[in-house]
Amino acid sequence: MIQTITDIYLPRQAKVEQIVVENSQISTFVLAFSDQQFNEAFRYQPGQFMMVSMPHCGEAPISISSTPTRPGTIHLSVRRAGHLTAAMHELKPGDTIGLRGPFGRPFPMEQLRNQDLLFVAGGIGLAPLRAVINACLDQRERFGSLTVLYGSRTPSDIAFQADHAQWRQQGVTCRLTVDAAEAGWDGPVGLVTGLLDGLTPELNRSIALICGPPLMFRAVLNRLSAMGFSDEQVLTTMERHMKCGVGVCRHCHMDGKLACVDGPVFSLAELRHLKIMELAD
Amino acid sequence: MPHASAMADSHLLKKDHLKGFLRKLAKEYRLVAPVRNRHGDVLFSEINDLDTAKIELGEPPQNSLKQFLLPQQEQLYTYMVTPEGYDFSPTRTTIPPTVYFGVHSCDLSAVLYMDVVFSRRQRDPFYLRRRHGSVLIGINCNTPSPNCFCNATGSGPFVEMGSDLQLTDLGDRFLVETGRAPGQALVQRWQRFFSSPTDKDREARYQAFLEARGRFTRQVHVEQAIRRLTTDTVPEEVWEELSLRCQDCGGCAYLCPTCTCFTINDQQLDATSGLRLRSWDACTFRGFTAMAGGHNPVQPKTGAIRQRFQHKLRDDVRLNGRPSCVGCGRCVGACFGGTDIVRFVDRACQGIL
Ligand SMILES: Cc1cc2nc3c(=O)[nH]c(=O)nc-3n(C[C@H](O)[C@H](O)[C@H](O)COP(=O)(O)OP(=O)(O)OC[C@H]3O[C@@H](n4cnc5c(N)ncnc54)[C@H](O)[C@@H]3O)c2cc1C
Ligand code: SF4
Repeated sequence: MIQTITDIYLPRQAKVEQIVVENSQISTFVLAFSDQQFNEAFRYQPGQFMMVSMPHCGEAPISISSTPTRPGTIHLSVRRAGHLTAAMHELKPGDTIGLRGPFGRPFPMEQLRNQDLLFVAGGIGLAPLRAVINACLDQRERFGSLTVLYGSRTPSDIAFQADHAQWRQQGVTCRLTVDAAEAGWDGPVGLVTGLLDGLTPELNRSIALICGPPLMFRAVLNRLSAMGFSDEQVLTTMERHMKCGVGVCRHCHMDGKLACVDGPVFSLAELRHLKIMELAD
Repeated sequence: MPHASAMADSHLLKKDHLKGFLRKLAKEYRLVAPVRNRHGDVLFSEINDLDTAKIELGEPPQNSLKQFLLPQQEQLYTYMVTPEGYDFSPTRTTIPPTVYFGVHSCDLSAVLYMDVVFSRRQRDPFYLRRRHGSVLIGINCNTPSPNCFCNATGSGPFVEMGSDLQLTDLGDRFLVETGRAPGQALVQRWQRFFSSPTDKDREARYQAFLEARGRFTRQVHVEQAIRRLTTDTVPEEVWEELSLRCQDCGGCAYLCPTCTCFTINDQQLDATSGLRLRSWDACTFRGFTAMAGGHNPVQPKTGAIRQRFQHKLRDDVRLNGRPSCVGCGRCVGACFGGTDIVRFVDRACQGIL
């Protein structure tokens, strides 16, 4: 009987089918499990993450940036941050990595139904939201208006450019801003909060989804509150050091909750009960 | 109620018969028990020679059963990078069925806690494989040591359930209560070592329990500390003081029978192969939560110490209905900074007692 326990720590092989260079630091890896049958049966939900193995580098949690409405491959959009993520940037199509998952509580897609959705992201933070945006576009009639506000450091750092073009074509309001302009940039300069100016969301049918670095997160929360968003109407996904991904190793502790199993997706209302650095005064 | 035992059945084992019984067990099981070594230390050890091993039941062992069920470092997989891919093969060490004999109430409670940790959310195959087929023979504590406070954590000195067989030392004999089915089977199989207890023996057990209860030298107000933690009323200066004194050695987590947090790392063997290892970790280490780029979501001043005590005395109470400190007192004896859990409880309760 003991032999039949699924091995929760065992990575499966997945092949890199394609690599999309998003900017100098971020690439999107299009992956398929080597076991075809498993690949076809693989299911996940927007907001969930995978534990990625690279030879000699251990594992790192990475959000799935593709939508389950487009089965067959999964996308991981990865920013070069350290040991493992740098090794991923050396990958070539045809190479194999290890994957286990999907893990974590996803975005509550049912709760998003018929709502106007406001996505606010900075840098790599767009990766988990991209999964939601594309899922909404694939079931367009189920959701209200879609607005994406995205901040990057400089115009050459703007990632997911192909997505922005695609989203605009499909009627998504996409607004970009940069911290510092470069020659040829005539768009807005400044924090992503600036893009909220002039927006008049219908508060009785809006939900905001935020993901980005802690400073941006705080600034956006304050602005959304000032605009009248309640804490229940704000969703985010939290980043923590993780080792197991399944609620045992406890590296991702957040004042009694674990980011890997209680999250990574939380509503702001849930986070308000926790003493966490992101919301500290 | 300790005298109206919840255990199914009771028997008597004369001390003269103990070795004979253990010898039978050792034929089919690996035998692990607290043994006094030649340096005088009492440690849970594997017994190979029952004639020479000095089994010590009166003194708490310095180590717990943690290292047997969750080794300090454990190989999960070997991996190979080949032209065809990147393959992990599980490491399947054969784990002999093991009798853990002479397990004090605190350590028994700790094993039950680990069972929950490694099967509540996900069934951990590596832990469960070690745990599977093991037999726990507990011993009620007649003589709590100076640092013990299992009476305050609800995990001793006598326990009523969780073991396969539960012993009480009555001088020249043990009263043996059968718990889970494997324990009952052992007594049935080796009936000739056991006799029937009389009411006098049961009375003696109750007397031993009362005496043990009176022998605790420490008053540790665990319940109050839990209340302070759940109401978030531990004074800030307590956290600051304890954090200042913590030397980041991780000794408490190493010794603690219920500290089960771990890390997973790769150890490269050569260009194309390596091992994936799981090792003990400690939430008081800075690297436990540090993220890429050095950013750390744990508040540097008091966050780590908070996590240690909140997890044991608040979060696990919420989750399991009881704290995950089992009152063994190991960290009390070991912490040279004076940041052990008893210090915390004492300081957290100051002003309300
Ligand atoms: C739920 C979740 C989703 C994420 N999604 C993405 C994503 O879609 N794209 C992306 O680029 N990044 C994502 N991250 C961050 C990513 O996991 C880290 O950048 C990555 O772990 C860094 O590993 P490294 O080996 O390159 O860095 P190093 O600094 O060399 O890390 C060494 C080890 O520390 C641990 N570690 C360090 N930083 C983190 C961290 N932030 N989170 C978890 N463990 C860490 C890992 O175990 C790692 O092996 C996500 C993190 C979480 C928790
Ligand atoms: S916290 Fe200390 S006293 Fe409590 S179980 Fe762990 S080592 Fe024993």
